[in-house]
Amino acid sequence: MSGMINSLYNLRLLDDLAKKGTSIHRVHPLIKLLTTVVYLTVVVSFGRYQISGLMPFLFYPVLIFALGEVPVLPILKRIIIVEPLIIGIGILNPIFDHQTFMFGGFTVSMGWVTFLSIMIKCALTVTVALLLVATTGMDGLAAAMRMLKIPKAFVLQLVLTYRYIAVLLEEAARTLRAYSLRAPGQRGIHRSAWGTLAGQLLLRTFDRAERVYQGMCLKGFTGEYYTGKSNRIRIIDLFFLAGWISFFVIARIYNIPMLLGSLLTGVLN
Amino acid sequence: MSHHKLEAKELHFTYPDGNKAVNGISFMVSHGEAVGIIGANGAGKSTLLMLLMGVIFPQKGEVIVGDVHVTKKTLSMIRQRLGMVFQDPDDQLFMTTVYDDVAFGPRNYKLEEKEVEERVLKALELVGILHLKDRSPYKLSGGEKRAAAIASVLSMQPDVLIMDEPTAALDPKSRRRVIQLLKSFKHTKIITSHDLDMILEICERILVIKEGEIVADGETREILSNAELLDSCGLEMPFSLQDCPLCGSQKQSLKKLNS
Repeated sequence: MSGMINSLYNLRLLDDLAKKGTSIHRVHPLIKLLTTVVYLTVVVSFGRYQISGLMPFLFYPVLIFALGEVPVLPILKRIIIVEPLIIGIGILNPIFDHQTFMFGGFTVSMGWVTFLSIMIKCALTVTVALLLVATTGMDGLAAAMRMLKIPKAFVLQLVLTYRYIAVLLEEAARTLRAYSLRAPGQRGIHRSAWGTLAGQLLLRTFDRAERVYQGMCLKGFTGEYYTGKSNRIRIIDLFFLAGWISFFVIARIYNIPMLLGSLLTGVLN
Repeated sequence: MSHHKLEAKELHFTYPDGNKAVNGISFMVSHGEAVGIIGANGAGKSTLLMLLMGVIFPQKGEVIVGDVHVTKKTLSMIRQRLGMVFQDPDDQLFMTTVYDDVAFGPRNYKLEEKEVEERVLKALELVGILHLKDRSPYKLSGGEKRAAAIASVLSMQPDVLIMDEPTAALDPKSRRRVIQLLKSFKHTKIITSHDLDMILEICERILVIKEGEIVADGETREILSNAELLDSCGLEMPFSLQDCPLCGSQKQSLKKLNS
């Protein structure tokens, strides 16, 4: 029960974070969106046995965390929510992958390497996506997408779905509160009530969403989302984009940790 | 100024489940008038407001704002002139900050950001919550939310204010503030409520609705002191007009009215 209300507050944490005014928040939404898309594409493009090459990509999220003053723990918690899904996808790799390698005297299936690489990629991509929302906000992102000429219907779908989650959670919290008050000593919800409760929830959220939508229409909403923020891309924004894209591309082509390693060992020798 | 008048002509509306919510309602509200719409739960008040705003369209009859008929084509223009405050402010506040919520309407009408800012600050100042402009609406108290919802409508500078239960679920102080606020507005006002004392203070004229029809239309004091009429419509005289609950003596104002 209290978990439900907590998650409602957690959900809004990203919105609250997006209101800060750090140097990262001030970067144009479109630039951040493009940088993130390039980042995701490059990270996903790594082969399944390449783990060391991924390491430089930690640099981007770490820098955004620091400069954007985003608290690390709440974001990490959200990544953990996704991890079981990823484990489900990757857990069979060690069984199916018959190649092996020696690690500290043990014969290990290469499947573990691919499993690890999937986990790292997931952690990196989810973190960066969350950081994008936490430093830009959903409204800013929607505006950026419209600038990319993504059809209105898709952008609207995204924005309204995001709003609908909050509506759904609020209604669910109310329904559950009412249930738990009349079902003392019960843990969770008895299965006999699942159907009616879910049905009620659906109908109530439909109604509520309809009213919210009417409220938007009455204020002249026609499907276009205006955030009122300046649409101008500054020169510094372009530097941000160019700088990061070149870094991503270089890190993709050259294995920086390995180069550093060989440089270091070369010096030592 | 005839362009501020609002007219409903023979409105009929039946919900898909067969519930006849509005059954031949006609009235006219002229410029600057404050009209209260009262009636029991389910009498059709909220449906009537929805019809006026063009959220739903009548099966028969029409709504005319100024000289313009409310149709799908004229909605955008109509909604700039009629501002509606919902019963539940949570339905009306959906942006991440109060400022953005109040700016939502003006921005949709593609005003310059400078003009938007001016309007937002003016509206927030008018309802007295300028200091809350950067707060998240969901963190506000009930009274503050109501004020924000009113500001979000005022920023569109409507000619007519339509309000569904503006004082519902407010503590006495917040209720008083909202009443003072509404009294200070020069707009044409249409207010539905069960708070008859509030209606008595704000509105000069009342429409009483019962089962989707108007059963009385007249001067506020006269209607609100007609206990028989109110009783037959599932209502009760406002406390300020009722006899003293301690000594049972009749209100002075009522004595005058009855004599």
